Amino acid sequence: MDTTAIAVPFLPALSAVLILTVLRANKRLAARAAVSAIALSFLISLAALLQYTISGTSRVETLGHLWGSIWLDPLSLIMWTFVSGISLLVHMYSVRYMLEEPNYTRFFALLNLMTATIFFMVSAADLITLLGAWFLVGILLYFLLGHDTDRRQAGRYAFWTQLTYRLGDLPLWLAAFVLYRTYHSLSLPVIFSRIASAPSPAHLWGLPVPAVVGTAVAVAAFARSAQFPLHGWLPYTMDGPTPVSALMHAGIVNAGGFLFNRFAPVFESSGVALHIAFLVGLVSAILGSSLMLIQNDVKRSLGYSTMGQMGFMTMECGLGAFPLAIFHLIAHGFFKASLFLGAGDAIGDARAHDGVPPDLVYVSIVERRPTRPSRLPLWTAGALTLAVPVVVLSLAHFAVAKALFFQQGTFVLLFFAWVTGGQALYAADRLTRTNPWKLMVGILATFVLVVIGYTLISHDFGAFLYPPAASTRLYHSASTGVLSDGVLLTILALLFVSGWVVTVLSDRRDWSRRLARRWNGPYLAAYAFFTRELYLNDLFSRAGELLVRVSRRLNLLLRWL
Amino acid sequence: MEWLELVLVGMLLPVFPASVVFNAVIRWTPTGWGKAAAMILLPEVGVALLSSISSARVPLVHSRGWIVLVAFSALLYAFRAISVREISIWARLMATSGLGLVWIFEATHRGRDVMAVAVLAWSVPAALLLVLAGLLTERSGGAYLGLQGGLARVVPRISSLATLSALALVATPLFPSFFALLHVIGVLRLFWLWPLLLVLLVWGWSLGGFLQQLLFGSYSGERFPDLGTLATSSGAVVLSLLVVSAVVWSGAWIGI
Repeated sequence: MDTTAIAVPFLPALSAVLILTVLRANKRLAARAAVSAIALSFLISLAALLQYTISGTSRVETLGHLWGSIWLDPLSLIMWTFVSGISLLVHMYSVRYMLEEPNYTRFFALLNLMTATIFFMVSAADLITLLGAWFLVGILLYFLLGHDTDRRQAGRYAFWTQLTYRLGDLPLWLAAFVLYRTYHSLSLPVIFSRIASAPSPAHLWGLPVPAVVGTAVAVAAFARSAQFPLHGWLPYTMDGPTPVSALMHAGIVNAGGFLFNRFAPVFESSGVALHIAFLVGLVSAILGSSLMLIQNDVKRSLGYSTMGQMGFMTMECGLGAFPLAIFHLIAHGFFKASLFLGAGDAIGDARAHDGVPPDLVYVSIVERRPTRPSRLPLWTAGALTLAVPVVVLSLAHFAVAKALFFQQGTFVLLFFAWVTGGQALYAADRLTRTNPWKLMVGILATFVLVVIGYTLISHDFGAFLYPPAASTRLYHSASTGVLSDGVLLTILALLFVSGWVVTVLSDRRDWSRRLARRWNGPYLAAYAFFTRELYLNDLFSRAGELLVRVSRRLNLLLRWL
Repeated sequence: MEWLELVLVGMLLPVFPASVVFNAVIRWTPTGWGKAAAMILLPEVGVALLSSISSARVPLVHSRGWIVLVAFSALLYAFRAISVREISIWARLMATSGLGLVWIFEATHRGRDVMAVAVLAWSVPAALLLVLAGLLTERSGGAYLGLQGGLARVVPRISSLATLSALALVATPLFPSFFALLHVIGVLRLFWLWPLLLVLLVWGWSLGGFLQQLLFGSYSGERFPDLGTLATSSGAVVLSLLVVSAVVWSGAWIGI
């Protein structure tokens, strides 16, 4: 790997400076400079990644004597390629999309500065560079989200985002200083090697240092990835331009998953932090997915969908499946970018054509209209739903990673994958066709292909990012040791299966309508609770207003001196 | 006598309650340029005066209680700034919050030579804001934000410089105050990190409120001229110099 790779973060930064100083008045040239810089960064990142796969050696490039070092390891190179790829798409899309907007050239300069900062963040090899870049992402995002300065709402939501990000920066400051004081180095590789070689962990405030640092890093990741209860800002960031929404949902909110992976050596001896991550991720996944379903605004619904996905990503980290989180964030990034960037076309199509296409999936899921009653027999569908995913998933994982198969984290992950697969089959059965068997066979074949592909990719990805011993240590650290695997799985399985049974019965016997009639008050209260997004944003707003009032009183008392 | 000297230094290198005098002097100094000069000179005079006092004569400054007072002062002024809409008041309250932290170098015996440079990390951006507030007052009759909507569309150059100066004041990475804050935290025991992190959070809140009033909304007042090219370039040069000096001498700023 030659030194050309170091140019990756500098190219967009230089082009931003060029745009702000020389090309400010020339829209076309500014856009070209911005896109070219990102395209070049993408190509160099790709070349560096390919070179790494051949040579297999990572190294640290030091630019300053204290900070400014870049870590060219597999994680950095993968993230560089991913971020530059997404950013290139967003840049190309923005060239025409933003043409009529004011401050066109400033937008591209900010976009390039943001991309450069993310490059520095994901490749930082020292605490100061990481801290600085992590901090700057929040600041730059504020200006990107508030691009349209005429709209007060845009400023308000950009402010929310900036404040939440700042709140999440603080634990990272804590983690950085604790690491520096304990291991007497700013260099991340040096710190990690000292953690690995320490016979027993150092203690701070009566707690093991890895536990303190791991928890602080996890909290920083929660704020960045919109995890409960620091999620309120995410659904409201849609007031920013669409390309910014795409970049944010595809490449910025998932920085939490990156942070977990960067600090993986700390988490190897910080089980508590991983358990917290699992719980927070689980709550966020459930809440995000539930709140997504009851939104009447499509973009806000996408925001909650991202929250749910980030919840799954955090859960994966909490279970010790760190490489899977990286794979997840990349897959989700491209998926969400395509959704956001395609939103304009979808709206255009809907306007051009009278009505929506008569698609069965659309009618059943979006319009929630009952479909024709031709279905598989209940017991056949139930057996397929329960048995097929568990057999396919277990075989796929057993075939590629026998050593990890018996870790608790893998068990729980398989369980969730089974639930998801079962849910997909169950939903497919509800769709119904004239030939339900044909539909079911098609879905099963797709399911098998997806599972095998996903398992192979995630396994190879893991082998690329971490040595096998590190993966095992992470899974081991994530194990609770309180409940045996069997008991844990039985409880979870009972919960989900009873959920399905209740859904089937309620569907057949019209329970939901009967319950709504009988318990109308609590039903409406619950509905209001969820539509007001758990009242969390109201609570934070009220607390903020109260504090501003106190501040004003203090100023009056001290006569503004 | 030492007490008197200490109070005098506290008025110049502001720490609550003596900081009230520092704020009063800047408030009553006429014109933005005068305020800016006072903002840069007073803390430097304070550091020079402190340097002339033997450490042994002011044991209070080296106690835990003094660090508590300094942290409280920084937090108090940052908190007060969240409800301020006038640029020059915001600048001096935020500067008071940051400048007070420089006392920590003295409290931890980490060298008085650092202090003279570290105060510039907060005083220069604050001075720049005071100049901009003065120019805005000359043009529009006041530097109040949020009354007529965002100024970004009407006076983009003043708004840009004010935005960057505000960022430089609240320890944004690449500006000297970021590295100076790292240095301040670096010389303290880990226990003291909590109040300083709280200060950093409130700075972020205060900055968000300030920018929201400065930049967003449709302006509905009378139009007035923006800065000329020379003045804008001068401001940009000062800010660029701040960044360059911070990056080049970051080791000295951080003190590691």
